[in-house]
Amino acid sequence: MASTGDRLKTLIADNLEVDGQAIAVPENLDISLLEAGVSSVDLVAFAKLVARDFNVKFTLEHCTTLNSVKEVADFIDSQPG
Amino acid sequence: MPASVADCWWRPFRNVGTAAVVYVDMAPDAAREAVALTWLDQEEQSRRQRFRFDGARRRFALCRAALRAILCGQLGCPNQQLAFGASHHGKPYALVNGQPAPIGFNVSHGSVHGLIAFAAEGRLGVDVEERSPARDLDGLIGSVMGPEERAELASARGNHRLHLFYHLWTVKEALMKALGTGLTPDVSGFEIPLAMRRGKKTGIFRFPHIPTVRWWLEDLGNEHFAAAIAHELSPDSH
Repeated sequence: MASTGDRLKTLIADNLEVDGQAIAVPENLDISLLEAGVSSVDLVAFAKLVARDFNVKFTLEHCTTLNSVKEVADFIDSQPG
Repeated sequence: MPASVADCWWRPFRNVGTAAVVYVDMAPDAAREAVALTWLDQEEQSRRQRFRFDGARRRFALCRAALRAILCGQLGCPNQQLAFGASHHGKPYALVNGQPAPIGFNVSHGSVHGLIAFAAEGRLGVDVEERSPARDLDGLIGSVMGPEERAELASARGNHRLHLFYHLWTVKEALMKALGTGLTPDVSGFEIPLAMRRGKKTGIFRFPHIPTVRWWLEDLGNEHFAAAIAHELSPDSH
């Protein structure tokens, strides 16, 4: 089964873009969606997708306080499965 | 800074009570970006370098340089004396010679449009968004709107529905930014005043959990973008 990081990369590639371009998430997941320029509206939508796909409570607040995709992956992995 | 006003990429946009709003043009322009870079301090230049996307680098440089020019003009200080601190929740504030400056400001940018709001007193927040068609507008509405807002949006159709969504969202985000706690309270837990939902451009708002504080709201949107400002009213204002 794909890792949480790989699943997040797919989710981002399929659903987010900035200036019409896909967001290339690096291998180490060290990228902030906010700093990449993802709009707040897209972050809300992304938070909903994460909550649904990983079956965890994940809100806009998580998107804005977790500083990188790596931190999002770590947060998801820390939730009871 | 630019040699003349005509070379500036920012311009006065609107006065809102005691606050002023400046528009920042963030369309790609290498010459402007080169000038902007000369105004950033070492820390800001390093931060800019960490952005992975050209667009994010450009927006940061153009907006931060414009902010510096505006604040230096308002505070009467040279650029070298101006620095920025950040609150616990990351809301930036201005420092002059290491001391908090008597001015509040807030910055927002979406795509090629930026807005900077500033005022001598009162917390303030501003938000600007391009009205991009959302993949899942119904899902977004369910996540961030309250029950009466959802009902209004349910009865709106087509382009009007998209405009109404962004109108409500920018007012909500401006309020959250003004409050300065990030986007932490549940944004569906409060609703924009009815008159504003139905087209009025201004309104007064109170958060349910802090009813003693009043906020002036104003729709700043135009045909190019949705935008709004929220500014804390002084207790003795009417």
